[in-house]
Amino acid sequence: MLYLSQILGGRVEDSADQVVGRLKDILVESKPGNYARIVFLLVKSKKGEDIFIPYEYVESLGRQTVDLKNIFDKINLAPTPSRCIYLSRDILDQQIVDVDGARVVRVNDLSLGIFEDQMCVLGVDVSFRGILRRLGVAWLDPFRLVSVHLVDWRKVQPVKGALKLDTISSDLRKLHPADLANIIEDLNLHHGTKLVNSLESREAAKVLEELNPHLQKILIKHLGPAKAGRIIEKMSTDEIADLMQLFSQKEAQKYLSLLQDSRVEKVTKLIKYEDDTAGGLMNTDFISGHPDWTVAQMIEEIRKYSPDMRSITFVYVVDNFGKFLGPVSLRNLLLADNKEKLKELYKSADRLATLRPDYPLDKVVNLMTKYDLYSAAVISHDGKIAGVVTIDDVMRCLAPKA
Amino acid sequence: MRYIKNSSWYIRLAFILSVIGPGIIAANADNDAGGITTYSIAGAHFGTKMLWVLFLITFSLAITQEMGVRIGLVTRQGLAGVIRENFGLRLTAFAMILMLIANIGTITAEFAGVAAAFSIFGWSKYLVVPISALAVWFILYKGSFKTTQKIFLLFSFFYIVYIVNGFVVGPDFGQAAKSLITPTIEWTMPFLVTMIALIGTTITPWGQFFIQSYVVDKGLEAKHYRIERWEVFFGAFVTNIVSFFIIISTAATLYKHGIHITDASDAARALEPLAGQLAQILFAFGLFVASMLGAFILPTATAYAFCEAFGWESGFDTTWKSGKTFYGIILACIVVPVIIVLIPKISLIKIMVLSQDINGILLPFILLFVMKIINDRRIMGEHVNKPIGNIISWLTIVGILVATAALLVISFIGYY
Repeated sequence: MLYLSQILGGRVEDSADQVVGRLKDILVESKPGNYARIVFLLVKSKKGEDIFIPYEYVESLGRQTVDLKNIFDKINLAPTPSRCIYLSRDILDQQIVDVDGARVVRVNDLSLGIFEDQMCVLGVDVSFRGILRRLGVAWLDPFRLVSVHLVDWRKVQPVKGALKLDTISSDLRKLHPADLANIIEDLNLHHGTKLVNSLESREAAKVLEELNPHLQKILIKHLGPAKAGRIIEKMSTDEIADLMQLFSQKEAQKYLSLLQDSRVEKVTKLIKYEDDTAGGLMNTDFISGHPDWTVAQMIEEIRKYSPDMRSITFVYVVDNFGKFLGPVSLRNLLLADNKEKLKELYKSADRLATLRPDYPLDKVVNLMTKYDLYSAAVISHDGKIAGVVTIDDVMRCLAPKA
Repeated sequence: MRYIKNSSWYIRLAFILSVIGPGIIAANADNDAGGITTYSIAGAHFGTKMLWVLFLITFSLAITQEMGVRIGLVTRQGLAGVIRENFGLRLTAFAMILMLIANIGTITAEFAGVAAAFSIFGWSKYLVVPISALAVWFILYKGSFKTTQKIFLLFSFFYIVYIVNGFVVGPDFGQAAKSLITPTIEWTMPFLVTMIALIGTTITPWGQFFIQSYVVDKGLEAKHYRIERWEVFFGAFVTNIVSFFIIISTAATLYKHGIHITDASDAARALEPLAGQLAQILFAFGLFVASMLGAFILPTATAYAFCEAFGWESGFDTTWKSGKTFYGIILACIVVPVIIVLIPKISLIKIMVLSQDINGILLPFILLFVMKIINDRRIMGEHVNKPIGNIISWLTIVGILVATAALLVISFIGYY
């Protein structure tokens, strides 16, 4: 196994055994999902200049020396390449995302090897063994009690340097927003911001919701108003309300001014409720229907609003005066005949456990546990539905560290 | 819209404390067990002779802390991370080991401080040190690190009593002012040991790591830099005002009567002019709280820095399995110092002073890293040091190195 740390600083000799210089860095071309192919060597020449030698000229890459195929005068040196990753400068000792493990690690070493006839970076050494090797004290562990732990290069995402959408591994984008949030919490703010920036606004909004409030605030400020506005727009109303409470009044106004008026109104309403009450927990994004609507009409309505909703488990039947009558579960909608009317389907609110905005957290928890509810409607004193508390809102309060 | 809700008193307190900036916090935490002991001894054994050193290192403290703030704002990561990403693994390991030695030394001083505080009441260190170590571990592991830290910080404002005391004693302020600007040096071992400890307890390796991490964790923005800089300068000034008053208090009481400090109750007597009979209790309380503050912050800060440098998982929300290195470092940073303090017949006062010497001797090496970083345009861009910052920092580094060299020479040839 060849490691980067073993060849950096080695002598570079041409075919006439003349020393060209010392190996300073290795440049690779990295495409998501592939091993990174070595394309250039960065050599510090005897005169102290940085020269780029294309990898085609390399005969062998060894621990002591790098041998070139030609004599130095016959080698066409390359101009400073763009779009290449410098292994020593950009990867070694830097933070990197281990996508499979959904965590941030520091690169202790890189393993190199042949893959499909090409010299590539195969793995990232993140183990203590790698630290010992680089300190030159691997002999301290002759029985190899500390094992090498390599992360497959195809499963990592470098974060230093420009992070463009096309250089982000699709596996990373497929991670659950909560895992992505954990990764961002572990990265330094510059890299974390870049990662969020490289995500699509909707995805970024989900990730942002999962971040701890303190970091949410910092990140939003660091993203700048334009991008932040686009992301906040895609967040659910209750999350926006929570987020705005982190800011000073002036700053909150600035971000709210980026949203639609109807949205702002909802957010402002939510902010008025105490944090640990049903009102503070609830989400105001829900779908309501009229008792005279048919199932087909209702499903059409769901199709229309679904893209704006994080999740839908119930629709809420409301009469002409806005009074809440009762919920219909998606399951019942699915089972019912298309022509059936909602008034025949809903479960009457009188026989249901509902919440009041001022119910404290423990009362909400008790009610929802007692009646096995995934979600519960919050009814204000005038009988109108104010919002919906779902089990995930409650869980987050109960296990804030997760 | 109401942004701060009607909440319980401790949340409001936390909010108020959150406004206090890193400069004041770091500066206040400087007055820990090692600090108070070193300043007391400086005053009790050498009168006001060392005030000029204190005067000069106020500038050094201000400048070095400001550099930490600036690096944190630009790089958005802790000092350990910046060192790792720019100096490679070997130098990182070197810096981390230096920091570990210095921090273990300081934590030892903190537990010695706990032991010394209770010794005033005649309580055995074999009882109080293990109990307080357990308390530290338990609160770190189960409780809220941040809240605890803030509570102890609040208590540590106790040192203001030294300022009041300083006026009650009615020392010779004219003499003190003169000493501030009159360099006096004795080429003897006790003087140099105390002087290096004085520097090492004021500007510390961990303080350098602490302030930078603080800036990063708080998410301070570049636009706050100007305010932050003044806050740091103010913090340096305030902490050394307190140090100044500790020194003149002990100088006007203990030094005047030729009393040498051999245990905590000697040092406590400096507070008698203000507190009379209560001096011992007041001092014991202050020493205990300051020690506990350090005992909380340092093991955690050490563990965070190591994990940042080597990429291990950190934080109290990690599980035992994934965070075993993190917890392991914290445990080691508590257990090793406790064992040292529990060595029979060891002098608690000597531990507290010598640990600050270790800090002082290792400080230049950490500052060299800081200097290299802050003058590197690739890292700092336009925010590299101005000449004045470089001059003060280099003078600090050279000053400590010269004092250390002198100490070495004198200890070899035997002092007069």
